[in-house]
Amino acid sequence: MGEYQLDTVLSAVADPTRRAILDRLRVSDARVTELAREFPISLNSTSKHIKVLERARLVERHVRGRDHVLSLRAEALGEAVAWMTQYREFWEQRLAALEAFVLADADADGDVDTDTASGAER
Amino acid sequence: MTAVVTVSRRIAASAERLFDAWLDPKSLAVWMRRDGSAPSGAVADRRVGGAFAITMHDPNGSFVHAGNYTVIDRPHTLEFTWRSAATHQTDSVVRVTFTPDGDATVVEVRHELLPDAEAVQRHTEGWTEIIDRFAATFAENGEA
Repeated sequence: MGEYQLDTVLSAVADPTRRAILDRLRVSDARVTELAREFPISLNSTSKHIKVLERARLVERHVRGRDHVLSLRAEALGEAVAWMTQYREFWEQRLAALEAFVLADADADGDVDTDTASGAER
Repeated sequence: MTAVVTVSRRIAASAERLFDAWLDPKSLAVWMRRDGSAPSGAVADRRVGGAFAITMHDPNGSFVHAGNYTVIDRPHTLEFTWRSAATHQTDSVVRVTFTPDGDATVVEVRHELLPDAEAVQRHTEGWTEIIDRFAATFAENGEA
């Protein structure tokens, strides 16, 4: 996933109205006019939000006659989640290593730990 | 734009011991590294405003992770900025908290991947919901 693409995805989902639109499209495809009716915002404002979602490739528009039908394209969000998952894995591995380190270390200098347990130091 | 990652682990050691392991460069060199790799190079100026740099060696090469300490509150909270190739050398913020839990300590890492802290605060909830929901979706589809 390109960096610019990731930026546009994260910006797109940083807005509650746009998240609500994505949630709505999870249920089923919808026409732009339907969405404008379902949300307490103007058609114009709805269109602007949809354009942002389209730019992030989270939403696809199909023109059927006079209807513009929108459908959710979950892959783009999945890619953003995958990017975040890398960080989660990074820190999970580090914490596992920290655990291994302090537990091994506790065996090595357990006596010292006991001596200073009353906490006078530092 | 915003993204926040939170990871926690309950470890059978005191908060002080864990806090010190996180702040001491000699300890960092041992555990802050890729599995099976050589020890990291670690230097740390352990005061608020002080800088640290950790060079991790992984199969693709050596990568420097660097930042500055912003909160040093032993043994409760450690907070620092975090820059690396993965953050495109822009500052993200990592906050590590140590919470005693019986004879163990819960260590929580909260990594806010953003230069704009206000945006993170405003949008963290939304992201968390989205992630949870999509994780659930993937699980339902058996793709997780």
